[in-house]
Amino acid sequence: MKRIFNLYTFFLLLLVVVALVRPYAFFYGLQRGSLYSLIALPLALILGIVGLLNLAHGDFLTLGLYIGYILFNQFKFDPILSMIFIAPILFVIGLAVYKSTIEKVLKSHHLNLLLITFGVSITLVELINSLWTSRPRNVYVTYATKSISLFGISIGAYEFLYVAASIAVLLVIMLVLKKTRFGQAAFAVGQNPRGAAIVGINVKLVYTITFSLATAMMAVSASLMMPRVSIFPNLGGPFTMKSFCLTAMAGLGNLPGILLSGITLGIAEAIVQSIPGYSGWSDLVFFGVLILVIAFRANRGAER
Amino acid sequence: MATLRLENLTKHFGGLVAVNNVTFEVAEQEILGIIGPNGAGKTTLTSLVAGTLQVSGGRIVFEGKDVTKSPAHLRVRMGISRTFQTVRPLKDFTALENIMVGALFARGESLGKAKERAYQVCQLLEFDRAERYPDRLTVFELKKLEIARAIVSDPKILFLDEIMAGLNFEEMKQMINIVRSLRDRGVTICVIEHVMSVINELTDRVIVLDRGEIIAQGPYQEVSQNRRVIAAYLGEEG
Amino acid sequence: MKTLSIIAVLALAIILPFIADIYLIHVVSTIMIFMCLALSWDMMLRTGQLSFGTAGFFGLGAYAAIIAVDDFNVNPVMSIFVGAVFAALTSFGLGIAVLKLREMYFAITTLALTSVFTVLARNLSDLTGGAAGKILFNAIFDGDPKKTYWLILSFTIVVIVLSEIFERTRVKYAISSIRNDELVAKSSGINIFKYLLIVFVITSAIQGAAGAIYAQQYAFVEPDSTFSANFLLLPIAMALVGGIYSTIGPIVGALVLGFTSEYLKLLMPYGHLIIYGIIIVLTVIFLRKGVYGTIMEKIRSK
Repeated sequence: MKRIFNLYTFFLLLLVVVALVRPYAFFYGLQRGSLYSLIALPLALILGIVGLLNLAHGDFLTLGLYIGYILFNQFKFDPILSMIFIAPILFVIGLAVYKSTIEKVLKSHHLNLLLITFGVSITLVELINSLWTSRPRNVYVTYATKSISLFGISIGAYEFLYVAASIAVLLVIMLVLKKTRFGQAAFAVGQNPRGAAIVGINVKLVYTITFSLATAMMAVSASLMMPRVSIFPNLGGPFTMKSFCLTAMAGLGNLPGILLSGITLGIAEAIVQSIPGYSGWSDLVFFGVLILVIAFRANRGAER
Repeated sequence: MATLRLENLTKHFGGLVAVNNVTFEVAEQEILGIIGPNGAGKTTLTSLVAGTLQVSGGRIVFEGKDVTKSPAHLRVRMGISRTFQTVRPLKDFTALENIMVGALFARGESLGKAKERAYQVCQLLEFDRAERYPDRLTVFELKKLEIARAIVSDPKILFLDEIMAGLNFEEMKQMINIVRSLRDRGVTICVIEHVMSVINELTDRVIVLDRGEIIAQGPYQEVSQNRRVIAAYLGEEG
Repeated sequence: MKTLSIIAVLALAIILPFIADIYLIHVVSTIMIFMCLALSWDMMLRTGQLSFGTAGFFGLGAYAAIIAVDDFNVNPVMSIFVGAVFAALTSFGLGIAVLKLREMYFAITTLALTSVFTVLARNLSDLTGGAAGKILFNAIFDGDPKKTYWLILSFTIVVIVLSEIFERTRVKYAISSIRNDELVAKSSGINIFKYLLIVFVITSAIQGAAGAIYAQQYAFVEPDSTFSANFLLLPIAMALVGGIYSTIGPIVGALVLGFTSEYLKLLMPYGHLIIYGIIIVLTVIFLRKGVYGTIMEKIRSK
């Protein structure tokens, strides 16, 4: 634990140094990284408590974005305010998906769990595709395009909301896990489902609520990123992968670690992007780290 | 020369010490009992010798060769074999095929030879449900299957991890005969067991483990009078 | 009886180009490509490892083959071997790292590999043609659909034979043991890593060869379509529907879904893939043994 912490300190120090050399990459990466963490937190919750890797994770984000787009387009709803509508809708969809598919195979072989969320992912993407075609959609609001000057560089002001939101959401999740009865039950289930069942916790209910709530949480990231992205059916896939990457890097159950890894990788990505002619390689940062981190952990955790 | 020699064998999981500085030898064709309260490190010890766990310190010497770093599958081929405390049949295979796997890979035999050999082992153990799938076998039959799979590789040393658990008196008697006949065929045997009457009847010598350390060794009659041993067992109950 | 029906099916497959129209020849060719992918995915699954890397090695083989023809003047038929060998070598190197992983870690890493390959294909422009890809002047056999069909048929037969070798020899005992219980497999003398690596390399070579043939058939590669998720999704759906852990399952699944999808494409041009998603979900929930496996079970229990 301490060694990992030191590793992060080292990383952050390195990044601060880089920030002095390339301040734009630093701020841009901070913003991107926060957004990645914001998206990764619900995935980490489901993985930690339900023990399920939800391969359809990013597609719920896409779904949230399309719902927001419709609210904006049809009813002129403000993207950020639309969060309060997107969240309950996603909650219900998450609940329905969980009850109708995932819960039915929860106790069977782990292969079935991976396959079913893979199937759900494809179904969601193609459903979106057939409802709204693959044409990119955009939501435009003026306040999202303002930029401010910091240390002599111009950077998007709106995106600092990602940083604030990721910290806020992280704190709320940790508070809920520590202070509420549901949170404590969920934590216990995540640690030891059998033990939790023995002391009278309704494990099935905890799983259902965790999955649905985590899905509803995707409304936050969906609303916030809505004015700043082109919305298209396959948008979610890379985010699933990046979310898993952050969770694996932080280690299961280490929620603050997700924010830390998110910012680290966000900045690393931004640095690669800022090198002329190499911006296309930035995607490799995540995958490279994913493969390295997982391989490193697997080698150490190989014996049981 | 001892068949197996453990030197200062140590294993810890994080901060928890499961096996601590254990040193002993097993002589050829000996039946050695390994006893101790739950959590004493008996199964961990077995896994260390079989190579399914890596040691934290110490050496494992088998027939004069240091095997501490050898991977598990090579140790089986050299002649170190074990059963599992909870039976672990391969559910997609029939009992016979379960046994064949050992002959195929630990002895490198062809499919036909392996099948023949698996049948021989079944005969030796008086196991006549070879064509069945594991989910249709009784506890006794599953225990026999576990042993069959372990001996099909023709081991020189065999670790039997609680093979008596869940058996009735009649079945235990049969099991004791099986173990004896294995010894008579030249196999060195380590028995991990909670049923003391079996230990008494079967073993030449016992080693008592408590919290990962050897607290006593010698013939069972002697060891069972040892005050530390009694305290260790009482401590478990109290 | 069984031998006779196999001979009959084989004979029909061989003479098909003489009795069918171009459209049918083309459809069956495509189905066979997917059949090979489905078989290779299943062969890896038989070790207990769920791989999402099918599309990745498919695309890798496709690129290797097209580049071999375009830049190194390799004969198109030979380029298929280039594709297979390139995929095999890559999977060998990656396998040494990746095959230590299990369950979801293995699955997601193989999924990530596909993205890595795509990024490479897009950015190594000098070699791969970048985002635009590469186009050859001529398709394999100058675009003769009959010859292409026979080439794909021979390849499919090779894959089926490989799959049967996995089912009938000691390999079956090794990989099924690993799938059932790695601890027992190890303790029975099985070198788990060796077998996983062998299976990973062979299945990746199959995927690479399939990609190479497919690319030569259409004479082009392009990052998005060559590494398309279809080459992962369809094979999985086919194997699941037919029944996993067997040779016949993916074959039946590929035929059933292959012909159905031809009509689906016409019915719903946008998002017809949704059917595959739903099929995967439904078979995982209700038909664990797949359509074929379930039918056979019903017949046997009668």
